[in-house]
Amino acid sequence: MSEIFYPKDEQDVSDFVFDSFNKNNPIEIIGHGSKKIGRIIQCSQTLSLKLMNGILEYFPEELYIKVLPGTPLNLIESALKEKNQNLGFEPNDLGYIYKGQSDPGSIGGVVSCNLSGPGRFKNGALRDHVLGFKAVNGSGAKIKSGGTVVKNVTGYDLSKIVTGSYGTLCAITEINLKVSPIPDFEETFVINNLNYIEAIDIFNKALDSSLEISGACFFSEDNVSFLTLNDVKKDTSILGLRIQGPKSSVVERIQVLNKMFKDQSTSVLDTYQTAIFWREIKNLEGYANSENFICKISLPITNMGNFLKHFKNLKFKYFLDWGGNIAWCEIYNNSDLDQMRIFCLKHDGYLTVIKANDNFRQREDFLTNSNSNLKILSKKLKESFDPKSILNPNKMYLGI
Amino acid sequence: MPLTLPEVDNAVIERKDKIVDDLSKITKNIIHSEDEIKPYETDGLSVYRQKPIAVVLPETTDQVSKILKYCYEKKIKVVPRGAGTGLSGGSIPLADCILLGMGKFNKILETDFDNRCVVAQPCVANLAITQAVEHKNFYYAPDPSSQLACSIGGNVAENSGGVHSLKYGTTTNNLMGVEIVLMDGTILKLGGKHLDSEGYDLLGLITGSEGLLGVVTEVTVRILKKPESVRAVLIGFNSIEDSGNCVADIIAKGIVPAGMEIMDKPLIIATDNYAKAGYPRDVEALLIVELDGTTSEVDTLIEKVLDIAKMNKASYNRASNSDEERIRFWKGRKAAFTACGVLAPDYICMDGSIPRNKLADVLGYINKLSKKYKLNVANCFHAGDGNLHPLIMFDSNDPEELKKAEDFGADILKYCVKVGGVLSGEHGIGVEKRELMCEMFNDNDIQQQLNIKNAFDEKNLLNPGKVFPILHRCAEGGRMHIHKGRDKFPDLPRF
Repeated sequence: MSEIFYPKDEQDVSDFVFDSFNKNNPIEIIGHGSKKIGRIIQCSQTLSLKLMNGILEYFPEELYIKVLPGTPLNLIESALKEKNQNLGFEPNDLGYIYKGQSDPGSIGGVVSCNLSGPGRFKNGALRDHVLGFKAVNGSGAKIKSGGTVVKNVTGYDLSKIVTGSYGTLCAITEINLKVSPIPDFEETFVINNLNYIEAIDIFNKALDSSLEISGACFFSEDNVSFLTLNDVKKDTSILGLRIQGPKSSVVERIQVLNKMFKDQSTSVLDTYQTAIFWREIKNLEGYANSENFICKISLPITNMGNFLKHFKNLKFKYFLDWGGNIAWCEIYNNSDLDQMRIFCLKHDGYLTVIKANDNFRQREDFLTNSNSNLKILSKKLKESFDPKSILNPNKMYLGI
Repeated sequence: MPLTLPEVDNAVIERKDKIVDDLSKITKNIIHSEDEIKPYETDGLSVYRQKPIAVVLPETTDQVSKILKYCYEKKIKVVPRGAGTGLSGGSIPLADCILLGMGKFNKILETDFDNRCVVAQPCVANLAITQAVEHKNFYYAPDPSSQLACSIGGNVAENSGGVHSLKYGTTTNNLMGVEIVLMDGTILKLGGKHLDSEGYDLLGLITGSEGLLGVVTEVTVRILKKPESVRAVLIGFNSIEDSGNCVADIIAKGIVPAGMEIMDKPLIIATDNYAKAGYPRDVEALLIVELDGTTSEVDTLIEKVLDIAKMNKASYNRASNSDEERIRFWKGRKAAFTACGVLAPDYICMDGSIPRNKLADVLGYINKLSKKYKLNVANCFHAGDGNLHPLIMFDSNDPEELKKAEDFGADILKYCVKVGGVLSGEHGIGVEKRELMCEMFNDNDIQQQLNIKNAFDEKNLLNPGKVFPILHRCAEGGRMHIHKGRDKFPDLPRF
């Protein structure tokens, strides 16, 4: 059992890492410990940022919030909601897949994983919403980058590289996030009875329009039970297109969709139903308690259909999100996963294992193996932050 | 105007003939005569000039790789250059460098409507991307005012924005992939036609890295469908404060316009004289708000914006009722730089970003500085995203005026940082703001960035002398790691 250290501020983090640096002691960095993603690592000590929590600044009219890394995501979202704002990247609550219940964890953990919700293809990824940060690097130095303004080309954009680095580059001690207004109104246009080829075709038609679709998902007939919402049919496939904005505009755009797809079996989910429908998708609630691999497959849209065709005889569950850019899959065995990963690599994409059993996490990579030149550069980059590789060593890749 | 650049390696200059001979085995496109090289001695920051030993114009990624590998092995500095429109001096050559001109990489390789992206070579002009897809009603969102000439590769280097970045983001938010060549000749593909990437976000790191980490040889950008309706409204105010408050209220009400621009009185007059845009001349500040979306949405939002303007004591308003009228509204603003060129022999355009609510404060300070330095200034402001462009007018024939203009600009940027902003919103640091980096960063911050530079280019050969201060160190702000009494990277420039 490793020893857990709970720093109260940035200086504490710096002192602890500096000491560990001098003693060559690796550190596992954790937030609330809600996400079991990445390789399992062995460290004699753990740095928990749980006690470094709270909102430091929130200026709604400036569209940013500055928070400490251990701040519960719930707390941030509640504060934003009071001012009718939210985090535009729609952070996933992965508690459902790891624990069977809501546990969104800390903002530091969310930022470290760079996972984004259903609106990603329109509103950008999490990394697009990080404006700046403070952190302690692997030699104990306090560093910062970015700021609180949207436009900023002042030195390298380290916010990008630190976001999604799974705590392998530095321990984040402060985060500035862009916030967005909550749309006035939203509805979901639903089309039933489609196969995946038709679904992708509809995605393309809808997203090629000027309708500003902000969510586009598809559940095939054999995975429609993923959704628990009573208001959707459970005996047929479901394609959902989310429309958000001023009420009159949403109504107008739904009418346009009705005309565009008048020959299909369609219906509309109201605002209340829409919120539940997309929450279930965002949080992968339908995969709660699964003992299997939960994976994110990202491909160019034009390759997604080929992927589903290629593996049509394999037993696995999936639903398409981001207008067909990704598939959230439940995969039953390691060899299927390997085959799919190879396909993704060959077709300009990747497969990330979001959830796996401990045996897999100890032995296998959760990220698709990148090419050797990229790996060399990644290793050098890691060393530029963490020269002795003491921060979450091997968490992303073995040897990095 | 003397500019401090990294120490010149005279041995490289002495080997010029041999270097040109060696490089000509990779490509025949080499310029090295005094006359032919002249157009390459500066970029958009034309007060600084320096000739390189040669200009090399490769045509393929393989040639770029071979050139860089050769220079890496022979320890020859390389300065990459796109269209040469950069305003911070990012592609100003060094006396002992090879200037790597990317001008022949000027083709759009693929317009992929199915994946809603365009694959282009780096020297394709920003606007040419939109032109290649607009027949299907698509466009590329970032639109810097130099979009007719600036290259997409340069946009990646500077993370360029434009007037629509509040809603649609800057280059980094619209870039899906790049092919880059590292200083040692390694060719890498980052990102692609899929969304997001696994592993470290090297694509995000490359964007805005000002040509210090790698040479971009291919770019994949996402394209968007044009909105159904676009309208703009001109709103005049009797004070800058009122215009700033109006912008804050629009945002606070949950409206995200496609663009929001403020011009002060000197610029209103200058641009209206130049472009005949029909601006009101009796207002102190003019706000242009552009809204896009469905027709009913835009009409509703225009009404809301006009209500908010009224509450903020607007003295003038006019909403566009046709696309021609909307374009006319923008005509003046887009000609801001040219219009200032008429007012004075020279101007420098500064580029700070500030919190929106500090606008009146910062503009007040700029006016005080204008009196102090006895130099005229006109201001335009991407109000939506807090990006300020003061245009300081001077006469470069008077060396004292140039010095005063530069000090004036530096004072503005220092004040931007003081009120919570940053040194550059979209023009980059280059050589222009290099020494001001310490206003924002301490030694630890800079050292971390230099460590990253070292990971990509350990011999510090790619575009050295840019971005990082070389004249002095920043104040110590915390613990810095010295290994066994030695700096970890003794070869890196210290400041």
